[in-house]
Amino acid sequence: MVTGFGLGLRTEHYQTFVDERPDVDWLEVISENYMVPGGKPLYYLDRIRRDYPMVMHGVSLSIGTSDPLDADYLVALRRLAERIEPAWISDHLCWTGMAHTNLHDLLPLPYTEESLQHLTSRVAQVQDVLRRRILLENVSSYVAFHADEMSEWEFLVELTRRADCDLLLDVNNIYVSSVNHGFDPQRFVDAIPAERVRQIHVAGHEDHGDFLIDTHDHDVCDAVWDLYRYTLRRIGPKPTMIERDDHIPPLAALLDELAVARRIAAECAREVDR
Amino acid sequence: MRELERQQSRFQESVLSGDFPEELLQRRGGRCARLEIYQHAYRARLIDALVDNYPALHRALGDEAFEDLAAAYIAARPSRYRSIRWFGDGLADFVAEERERLPHPALRDLIRLEWALRGAFDAADAAALTVESLATLAPDRWPQATFAVHPAFQLLEMEWDVAPLWHALQGDDDAESEPPLERAHHLAVWRIELEPHWRTLEEAEAPLLAALVAGEPFAELCLRAADQVGEAAAPSLAAGLLRRWIDEQMLAAVTTDGTSNPL
Repeated sequence: MVTGFGLGLRTEHYQTFVDERPDVDWLEVISENYMVPGGKPLYYLDRIRRDYPMVMHGVSLSIGTSDPLDADYLVALRRLAERIEPAWISDHLCWTGMAHTNLHDLLPLPYTEESLQHLTSRVAQVQDVLRRRILLENVSSYVAFHADEMSEWEFLVELTRRADCDLLLDVNNIYVSSVNHGFDPQRFVDAIPAERVRQIHVAGHEDHGDFLIDTHDHDVCDAVWDLYRYTLRRIGPKPTMIERDDHIPPLAALLDELAVARRIAAECAREVDR
Repeated sequence: MRELERQQSRFQESVLSGDFPEELLQRRGGRCARLEIYQHAYRARLIDALVDNYPALHRALGDEAFEDLAAAYIAARPSRYRSIRWFGDGLADFVAEERERLPHPALRDLIRLEWALRGAFDAADAAALTVESLATLAPDRWPQATFAVHPAFQLLEMEWDVAPLWHALQGDDDAESEPPLERAHHLAVWRIELEPHWRTLEEAEAPLLAALVAGEPFAELCLRAADQVGEAAAPSLAAGLLRRWIDEQMLAAVTTDGTSNPL
């Protein structure tokens, strides 16, 4: 059981986690980084796993692609899960490419009944292979399809209901998409069933004035912290982590950001007690 | 799913080609129509992956020339891999087919060296064969003994002497180096503990190590040594090299009866 506050494990911090065992409740690892034969990545994974609970977060499942599911990938994912026994496995509600080409990006889906049906059967296949419920994360997006029949949150909530999967709620992604698409981020949060959310991501983004890019290379901004606070008030405390993928600062800087999340969560808890 | 397949096909085509699919995506007063973010991210991410896999080549070429090469490679060989870690595996073949892509042909050998180092980094684990364990091998078993190299080990046949260039490029952005000389030789690439290593093989060493990799028994290695230094000096050359390869952790197992035994 994973609770509290975590960080994404990044190569820059391997040795610090080994030497200093910093005060982090759990770590999230990028699954693909450890789907390799051996060497340094798996050495540090096993070593750090001894000291920290872990969750697995993938970027290549491509749950929404119209290509067939990649059976080899799923088996490799299951093997990695057998190795480190994560509290849960997550990936993104997106697709990454088709026709055997990988664009290595988290591409948006048309929010249609057809997509929903496709995803529902795909999630079932994945959950069968992994023998567990998976978490899907909402992604940031920059375009919308003419074909859209519902909002992102309606799509997300309906998928969790039909496919019986859980959610990794990325508060930064909600905020980024809300600015890019002009919706109220609180409406998104209001629609999410609390019991489906098992993890929260908080991250930074790049501000381009009239649009935002989800870069994960900045500090978390006040608007995202405000939305995080709003989210906790709505759905209660959830395991939360700071997600940083680029311009990785010293671990101390991320621990400072994690302390902000802790403080906000504590304040929300006190509000409930009152 | 036919409609979804069509939509994704069109979206992907647009990311790759840079056009805007009016019939597919909304344009709401400039908002929500930022397909160029995906177009830019696609190229940037793959270029970054190539920089990660070929840091010395990146320093040798500089940003602009590296990005030109990367863009040509990305266009010619889009990623087929689940994990971006493997992107760039075909770069040496690509520049062999399109020689004008490189300012100097020696850089192809640099590409091969860097890809081998990248492979050594996360190749499968195996305990290194030790001298102590070999000491338990009965003398009459030595002639038929064959050896397995560590899974991270690779033997590279090079046309150019890229070692001085590689060393000049390590960590120094302003490093200047003479153009590499043409020189046929071999490199060994492997891993010591967790760190990738490589070195140039000596002239007498390369054919013996190649024979070992090919599975020839120790007696054959001695015969090959005799070709080079005569029968009298052959056993000590072969034994001395074997000792060196073991000390350097290039080997993982010895076999004397057809079954591998890491001892």
